[in-house]
Amino acid sequence: MPPEIKPQVPKDNPGLTVVGQRQPRLDGADKVSGRSVFTDDVVLPGMLYGKILRSTHAHARIKRLDTSKAEALPGVKAVVTAAHATGMSANSTDSVAKASKRRTGKTIKLKTGETIFADDVVTYIGEEIAAVAALDEATATKALELIEVEYEPLPAIMDSRRAVRAGAPQVNEEFPGNVWSQDIDNYGDPDTAFDEADFIMESKFEAGVTHNLYAEFHVALVDFSRPDKLKIWTPTQTSYLMQHSLAPAFGLSVNQVQIIHLNTGGAFSGRGAVRPHHYVAVLLSRETRRPVKVFSAGDEEFLIGRALGKNRYKTRVAADKDGTLRAFDMTCEMDGGAVGNEVGYFGWMAGLSNAWMFDLQGNRFQRKVILTNQRPNFLGHGGMMVSSNCAVQQLLAKVARSLDMDPMDLLLKNAVEQGHTGLSGEVFASCGLKECIETVRRESGWDDKYDKLPPYHGIGVAVGAMAAGAKGAFKHDTSAAMVRVGEDGLITVYTGIPDMGQGTHTTMAMIAAEVLGIDANDVQLVAGDTDLTPIDIGAFAQRGTITTGNAARNAAIDARDQLAVYAAEKLETSVDNLRFAHGQVSRVDDPQQSLPFKEVTWGTLNSMEGRFVMGRGFYNSPLPYGTTSWSFDAQVAEVIVDPETGQIDVLKVTVAHDLGRTINPLAVEGQIDGQVFSAMSQVIYEELVTDDGLFLNPSRLEYKMPRTYEMPEIAHFMIESNDPYGPFGAKEVGEGPVVVAGAAIIAAVSNALGGTLMPEMPMTPMRVLKAIRASELEKSQSQSAA
Amino acid sequence: MLLPDHQYVRVDSLKDCLKSLRENGERTHVVAGGTDVIFNMRLRLFQPDIALSIRRIAEIKQVEELADGGLRIGAGCRLVDLAENALINERYPAFADSIRAVASSHIRNIATLGGNICLKTRCWYTNNSEQWRQGVKECFKTDGDLCHVIKSSSLCHAINNADTPLPLIVLGAVLTLQREGESRDVPIADFYQKDGMDHTVLKADELVTHVTLPPCADRTVFLKIAARKGMDFSQAAIAARASGTGTKAGEVSLVLGSISMAPIVLHEPARLIAEQGITDAAIEQAEEKVRAELGELTSLYARAGYKAHLAKVLVRRALKALREM
Repeated sequence: MPPEIKPQVPKDNPGLTVVGQRQPRLDGADKVSGRSVFTDDVVLPGMLYGKILRSTHAHARIKRLDTSKAEALPGVKAVVTAAHATGMSANSTDSVAKASKRRTGKTIKLKTGETIFADDVVTYIGEEIAAVAALDEATATKALELIEVEYEPLPAIMDSRRAVRAGAPQVNEEFPGNVWSQDIDNYGDPDTAFDEADFIMESKFEAGVTHNLYAEFHVALVDFSRPDKLKIWTPTQTSYLMQHSLAPAFGLSVNQVQIIHLNTGGAFSGRGAVRPHHYVAVLLSRETRRPVKVFSAGDEEFLIGRALGKNRYKTRVAADKDGTLRAFDMTCEMDGGAVGNEVGYFGWMAGLSNAWMFDLQGNRFQRKVILTNQRPNFLGHGGMMVSSNCAVQQLLAKVARSLDMDPMDLLLKNAVEQGHTGLSGEVFASCGLKECIETVRRESGWDDKYDKLPPYHGIGVAVGAMAAGAKGAFKHDTSAAMVRVGEDGLITVYTGIPDMGQGTHTTMAMIAAEVLGIDANDVQLVAGDTDLTPIDIGAFAQRGTITTGNAARNAAIDARDQLAVYAAEKLETSVDNLRFAHGQVSRVDDPQQSLPFKEVTWGTLNSMEGRFVMGRGFYNSPLPYGTTSWSFDAQVAEVIVDPETGQIDVLKVTVAHDLGRTINPLAVEGQIDGQVFSAMSQVIYEELVTDDGLFLNPSRLEYKMPRTYEMPEIAHFMIESNDPYGPFGAKEVGEGPVVVAGAAIIAAVSNALGGTLMPEMPMTPMRVLKAIRASELEKSQSQSAA
Repeated sequence: MLLPDHQYVRVDSLKDCLKSLRENGERTHVVAGGTDVIFNMRLRLFQPDIALSIRRIAEIKQVEELADGGLRIGAGCRLVDLAENALINERYPAFADSIRAVASSHIRNIATLGGNICLKTRCWYTNNSEQWRQGVKECFKTDGDLCHVIKSSSLCHAINNADTPLPLIVLGAVLTLQREGESRDVPIADFYQKDGMDHTVLKADELVTHVTLPPCADRTVFLKIAARKGMDFSQAAIAARASGTGTKAGEVSLVLGSISMAPIVLHEPARLIAEQGITDAAIEQAEEKVRAELGELTSLYARAGYKAHLAKVLVRRALKALREM
């Protein structure tokens, strides 16, 4: 049980002046006018261009590798191969493995043994074999062509189902049968629930291979020209993890590694780890003692990018005839690709998250990570939770239908409430799930539409929950912040949290501005440079607003307390009789007596004592591990299916999100819009087509993502449950909506087809036509049975 | 991805252009808007010694009204200008629709009609970077002798994805092809060849200079199905034309695009409708005749079965649309 804790401000009358206002992004003008600097914009004196030679075989022995011609090419400054990276491993998240052990008592296999370059065997197309650094890109490209590789092709295994059959080719001899890991998580008592329940329903669901298609492609600029300082510019979600992965690999201490992430052009959970190209850039810079930029161009981006692999779910639900949900049991076969990596961990998260919304007796999640000669997989937007929630929520709609019950009533009947303790011990200190469901029911016109729409016009509902912050990756989950006060009243917030488009820097500015009672536009950010900014584990697990937000708040309070000394003296009162708001510092007991904030800063910093104001603050979850706060979400989607072409048109998505407290409505709407877009893209459009491990559609043109024309109308409702842990009561809105929107859309498509379950995502037109045929068959069978 | 080494030559008159093509046609690739050509050069799909820019040639950037009510359109006209041209919208609405269906507004701002007519065929085994292609065997397009999409084929099955030629075919448009000192007129229906490698009859020293549209009082329609609404090539597209009104249709023509190496003129379905009128029964019969005229289909960009299905859907939709006009 977490300690009893009171909200920072009252729910209904918090007296907030900045929080809750529609604040345009502080970096918005720079972003849209092209002034923002990204890693690829940085060119250092003497910088070389690095290119990586990649395997063209899914599985082959390297019989001969000859780099001599490339080395002899004028302009080439270095060629590196596995020989330069002996004993080095691209293990990225050992800490996550340790954390998982601390948290669950179980060891989740993460240690990949993944080398920087393929040693003597390549196990997927795109695997790194060698790299060059040259004076310009053309020379580097030419040098790659001069590297001679002789392959002896080995039998490859591309499908995870075939990979576990007897006699299948082995991807990695250490993992017989190609099983990387196999785990069962039992929460509560699923066995009794399944034994005692009135009935059980089950389904199968598959999710295809994706790519995150960042606006900013993978790039790393490394300056390792000094042996005691490794400087890296690169987009990332976590400079902290990068420092901790790279330092030991190159014999450095953590703070000898400086990570600079200027702006990060999209991350979607996929930029949480160090990848081979980072190590390659360091090796090239170490060899040449010059800065080297390694970047992907065009379709190479699809080879480097690790996102979601093929996942096959079997879902069972145990329920009673009165609509009580008793337990879930989900099995997932996960294609880990050639390197099993962390995907098993993501399966565990998906299994947990499926159940958070419901008061269940038991929940079981079984997962098997299987090695194949496909690209190594990692995370996409919403992780595996998008697809697992699609599988679960569709099935719940079917449960409701079988009971002749409205799905809304089923969800309401089983929804958790504030104070609920979940099956893995989680306690929901705030929870607005029922209000979310009631809101979307009312605002979407559900009761007039459900089962009343014309054929091929469907409506669907889904719910979800998302942990805001999850302590466990390290012993602590600390974010720190510093607030420097200028004599002119301009404030600088120092933070290590990366802004990868989610707008967290503006959030931090607003939080600091709220505490100091000033305009958020008077706050600037110094961020993304580990030499300048204090510790922050990073922007993942929805920890930004709640953890770094609290750190920024604490730092601003510290700065405010320092300023209060001068103001109290001038206003002839005590420091606790002061209010900072609207750019003024006033007496609480006599608001007429006030000083402009800028006068207070000027006076403080031009004192005889020579005072300097720097607020410092940090936040670390009070729990030993796990999460304090969950967001909740309900959404209704309305779709039209074209029965002739199989195309799906999403008309409207109504979103109610319990985010605790709205810091910035403008940013929240943007987050929701973006996540509805992303979820729609995942469940209807995005799929990498492969032919023997080779991506056939590695381009923005052929990897189909929708554009603004496909965007549905979106109605946003922000439910404020005022979380006691969150800054001003705020939780998260960075990932909660995406895991629900996809499930709502798929439920709507299923509804449009008379309740036929959609067995696969993305729901491409061919698959929709197939489902239509299946639904017609179901209809005719049920008619003939009647 | 960098452009391969090449010489960039800009000509300001048709005369200079044709002279340059006579001298260096085999080593040249013409660049008009460049939206497709430049990108394909980056992919090293072709590496001409000379990229010949024809963007400044005024003679091929006019739309002329002809005495018979037709139009003569310069091949160098930008798609955006043609899409907004009042005469085209008034007299050839299906053609105007097909122009607006090409790519995105940004691309239409520089892409030209001639460029779309000459659009190179596409295949996902070739239209990727040179480094990517090292993972597949050489095919017809890359100096090999096989086709990845139909392995037994002796032809390249890359797809002709151009949208604007479809209405131009049903409208009976004629292309003017010029070489130095010589000009020939080729009906656009005869311009394309069923070969992904050598997909038009255009010779290396020739330039498509003009498109002549005869007057047309018939009903016409253009429909396109793509994975998304814009910035996408068609999975299948159709242009259709019928004389008469209502269900009566003396002359009918139907042309499908984007499902094969060349546009496909549907003879039997058109004949059937011309005979029976655009009735529901005739449409149903016409649909049944479609598949036989499509020839061998590939699963390039979309599954073969889906293409065959879309072809029928488009025929049905186009005929019903014509009936309503």
